[in-house]
Amino acid sequence: MSVVVIGVGNEFRRDDGVGPAVARALAASGIRAEISDGDPVRLMEAWDGAEVVVIVDAVRCTPSVPGRWHRTTLPHSIPAASSHGFGVPEAVELAEALDRRPQQLVIYAVEVADVGFGTSLSPAVEAAVVPLTAAVLTEVTTEFPMPGH
Amino acid sequence: MTHRANRTLQVAGLARVEGEGALHVRTVDGEVDRVELNIYEPPRFFEAFLRGRDFREPPDITARICGICPVAYQMSACLAIEDACGVRVDGQLRALRRLLYCGEWISSHTLHIHLLHAPDFLGFPDGIAMAGAHRAIVERGLALKKAGNQIMDLVGGRAIHPVNVRVGGFYRVPTPEELRPLAKTLHQALYDALGTLEWVAGFDFPDLEVPHDLLALRDVEGYPLDRGEPCVSNGLAFPTAEFGRHVVEHQVAHSTALHARLDDRMFLVGPLARYSLNSDRLSPVAREAADAAGLGPVCRNPFRSIVVRAVEVVYAVEEALRIIESYERPDSPAVEVNPRAGVGHGITEAPRGLLYHRYELDQAGRILSADIVPPTSQNQSAIEADVTQVVHSHQHLDDHALQSLCEQTIRNYDPCISCSAHFLDFTRERT
Repeated sequence: MSVVVIGVGNEFRRDDGVGPAVARALAASGIRAEISDGDPVRLMEAWDGAEVVVIVDAVRCTPSVPGRWHRTTLPHSIPAASSHGFGVPEAVELAEALDRRPQQLVIYAVEVADVGFGTSLSPAVEAAVVPLTAAVLTEVTTEFPMPGH
Repeated sequence: MTHRANRTLQVAGLARVEGEGALHVRTVDGEVDRVELNIYEPPRFFEAFLRGRDFREPPDITARICGICPVAYQMSACLAIEDACGVRVDGQLRALRRLLYCGEWISSHTLHIHLLHAPDFLGFPDGIAMAGAHRAIVERGLALKKAGNQIMDLVGGRAIHPVNVRVGGFYRVPTPEELRPLAKTLHQALYDALGTLEWVAGFDFPDLEVPHDLLALRDVEGYPLDRGEPCVSNGLAFPTAEFGRHVVEHQVAHSTALHARLDDRMFLVGPLARYSLNSDRLSPVAREAADAAGLGPVCRNPFRSIVVRAVEVVYAVEEALRIIESYERPDSPAVEVNPRAGVGHGITEAPRGLLYHRYELDQAGRILSADIVPPTSQNQSAIEADVTQVVHSHQHLDDHALQSLCEQTIRNYDPCISCSAHFLDFTRERT
């Protein structure tokens, strides 16, 4: 199956850059990986033509265990967005309205420590990049192997 | 809902890309007592931290002011600095700048038309809800937006905050072969843009004719994007360097953003002004399409700005095609720009309206002072006046309907405000 991994986030807001960091690491392993700022239209474009979409995004929690990640698959129907703080849920919603939702959608959400200004990840989130990349790599290569692999 | 003589509509906002917007409306004894639009505008911080920076940095620094119209900031910054340094960029380099700007207009206008503004006219809470009911139309809009993004990707290096723009031109210029595939995309985009115009022309538009002065650029030829002389609907025209003498910003108590007046009169910038001062400068296809859409040579109804934007998308697509077809790769990607002590001014037409930059440089090219006047700031007073007029003539509406109409009135002007003003907590008070 065709797979794309999309790292969502802003690399200038410290831990919000964890998705892009994982996407870069995966791209180095030969996986189709893209980086997105989370704009719904561009997110849809990024997953165009892919049957399986894996999104890696940062999530703020209270209380937070920075570096801990959660894996989830979105339900087919999600509540309507009440605001224009567009992100992944709105992209899925818009894609559903346009019948462009991927067959399978997996989301890895990484808990963050600091999304202030800066280009470096906090130590706890930085430490999660390698194991998370390995986890995503394992999932996409074993669960959704490309034809011929 | 009863029609009350005294009421307060309070629209509180949350920050998004451009900061925050809020609206406060109060009527007393059936008269509109107060309309306040409160917008937080980041550019003032930019002006402060541009001081001391190198003269080559503003295109990249000021692009960060807006995620929707970064090219506008880059173009006005380049023009102002080149003006200070006594350089004028022409020929194919100028054409490439115009091409890049067309990409931004197509992308920004298309987003606003389809996902932010059209839902107001068709009774949907947002673009996503509208997409379910008008799938083909929204798909067409997304394809158009993508065409605009492709131009920015190719010429600017990327669609958001392009990295290929520099003072004097570009870091790298494309080959004609690289631009050719764009032409194919744009031929389809022209068809889509005409379809979009026909679609929005069929909406119902509330009656509103605004008396404000209209301020836009006008050039010796073509519809204004990247260059031109500031012109006013009352016949006044002035050199770019005199912008600060005519457009004067002032503080108001209710807003952290500056308001502005043009020769002490209320005015507006943006699609209505551009169109009304330049409708004779449209390409033949765009002119004919505007006629078919029912637009005369002048348009003073802000609710019809969606139609004007659709006309401008048609024009931008055609203009992009024209530039690509006559493109020859310049020998050098940029004109050399050497710093000198002095002051420079630059004005271009951002999708939302005229955007002014002014820089003062020292001999070594260090920025001594910077001044940026964005379209949003210039339009604030006009928006408040429009909301006042709308509230005055629609007092029979219940709070919900009136609030919606007020929001639509704000969205007539600016997609960034539309975003922030859409995060609404709505409360009403009986006096």
